[in-house]
Amino acid sequence: MAANPEFPPHDPALVANPTVEVDAASVWFGPKVALSELTCSFGPGVSGLLGPNGAGKTTLMRAITGLIDVNEGSVRVRGRDPRRDRAVHADMALVPEDEAVPAGLTARQLTHYLADLHRVTERDAPEQALRTVDLLDVADRRVDTFSKGMRQRAKIAAALVTDPNVLVLDEPLNGADPVQRAQLITLFKQLGAGGRTVIVSSHVLNEVERLADRVVVLVHGRLAAAGGHRAIRDAMDETPRHVLVRADDGRRLAAALVGLDSVTGVTFDPGRSELTVSTLQARELATALPRLAQTASVRLLEVRPLDDSLESLFRELVR
Amino acid sequence: MNAPVDAVGRPWRPQPRLLAILRYTWRSCFPPKRWAAILLPCSGALLFGLLAHAIDQGADRAFANVAAEGIFSLVMPIAALVIGDSVLGAEIRNGSFHLTWLSPTPTWQIVLGRWVGGSVVALFTIVPAVGVAAVIAGSPSSVGPAMIAAAVGSVSYVAIFIAIGCMTRRTAVWSLAFVFLVERLLGGVLTGIAQLSPTWESRAIFVGLIDDAPRRLVRDGIPQGVDAIARLAIVTVVVLLLAEWRMRHIRLSGASD
Repeated sequence: MAANPEFPPHDPALVANPTVEVDAASVWFGPKVALSELTCSFGPGVSGLLGPNGAGKTTLMRAITGLIDVNEGSVRVRGRDPRRDRAVHADMALVPEDEAVPAGLTARQLTHYLADLHRVTERDAPEQALRTVDLLDVADRRVDTFSKGMRQRAKIAAALVTDPNVLVLDEPLNGADPVQRAQLITLFKQLGAGGRTVIVSSHVLNEVERLADRVVVLVHGRLAAAGGHRAIRDAMDETPRHVLVRADDGRRLAAALVGLDSVTGVTFDPGRSELTVSTLQARELATALPRLAQTASVRLLEVRPLDDSLESLFRELVR
Repeated sequence: MNAPVDAVGRPWRPQPRLLAILRYTWRSCFPPKRWAAILLPCSGALLFGLLAHAIDQGADRAFANVAAEGIFSLVMPIAALVIGDSVLGAEIRNGSFHLTWLSPTPTWQIVLGRWVGGSVVALFTIVPAVGVAAVIAGSPSSVGPAMIAAAVGSVSYVAIFIAIGCMTRRTAVWSLAFVFLVERLLGGVLTGIAQLSPTWESRAIFVGLIDDAPRRLVRDGIPQGVDAIARLAIVTVVVLLLAEWRMRHIRLSGASD
């Protein structure tokens, strides 16, 4: 679909031709706020939904599919309310993260059940869906006896059998082995390239980079960043990092460190002879630090990034 | 474009949704543990049949007493509770109900399919158990009335427990509260509640259909016999409509929440 020239999206959280629109949506469960005034949209192609655990990704996906209502704001899928207009579900499918699958059903029965509910007229659609996720050989095994990865693929088959235009996948690569991961990533990309809106959540940045053209980052239920994955990487690179350094003469090392361009701040704990070094250029610091220690005749005992986890990077993004 | 055809050349069509839901209900909602939980109270009905022999009255009157106090007040609601929870509440709790809900299937078909599926199971478990209990008690003339009362009472209960499943995630707890607090306690003193209660109404159906019912089992102010069947049918329809309305607004927040 061609971009609408009259509406160039300036906000990277919004796309020009949205299929799914989230407008100032807030969701809370008792005192816990799961989504807070979130505005974003998704269009054809693969979009990644990235964020640490508890960021609100699953809640957003449930709101998009109409499984839960938003307390404030709105969610629209192709201009319709997924919560109130059940016809929306003819065109949409969800693969949830949790391992729950219907007990007692074989993979074939599961896909046939979904095909019947969606009035799928292509006779071979269930078999085709199972073939696509490489489950045809075990199609007559009960899905509740499957491994986590196989269950996930069975649910993907159940979603694909309905040939949805909007496909929402919550951590779909969980439990999959590397070969299956590669196959599923290729499959999702093909679906996106075919004009479907594919929304994939993950808390693994590299995974989303391989999958999605566009990434929406959520932290604490709020929009932290959006755009191409390069823009997200750049945004993360611009966030300050903190490195813990322990040396035999911390005071002398601290004095030497403050002269480095890559260092934005140093705090020194004389009791432990520990330094916490703040930097915007972690790589440069990593190169300069050993040389600096040698020059200052200081022995480094420990160098440890304090916030190297994705969660801490996400947190920096919303500061 | 030609319509797809099956192996013998007939036009191929997907199964009707209602039938698909029914088959799904029977295949998926009743794993072996659930069957055990249904059959356990049903075997209790047989024990109540034996217990009738310990009552020093005629066999018919003795069975009427144990049926009223034990079977319709305890066995039937407990077994129906397990069935009602199996066909909806358990699936909502374990997080797989979204597969059905996230389809363009009208919610009335989902509710109806689950209710019919659960009711058929009740008709093939609770009702025969009640009939056998009457035989064990040595009261063959009570078999018909007891089975009719159990059939009407259990399908009504299944509808109520489905409606409760649409309203709360703690289906079993709220269903037990309904049976023991609302029906037994409140229904015991308030005729208005007893008039809407499957326990009291199925007792009334049974008492109204047998000959020479013990006077103490006839409760004034609530319909008896066929009138009680009509009353429970109305209750069932109203409850199913309520369940359908709730089903449209159900909040499926997943198994982990």
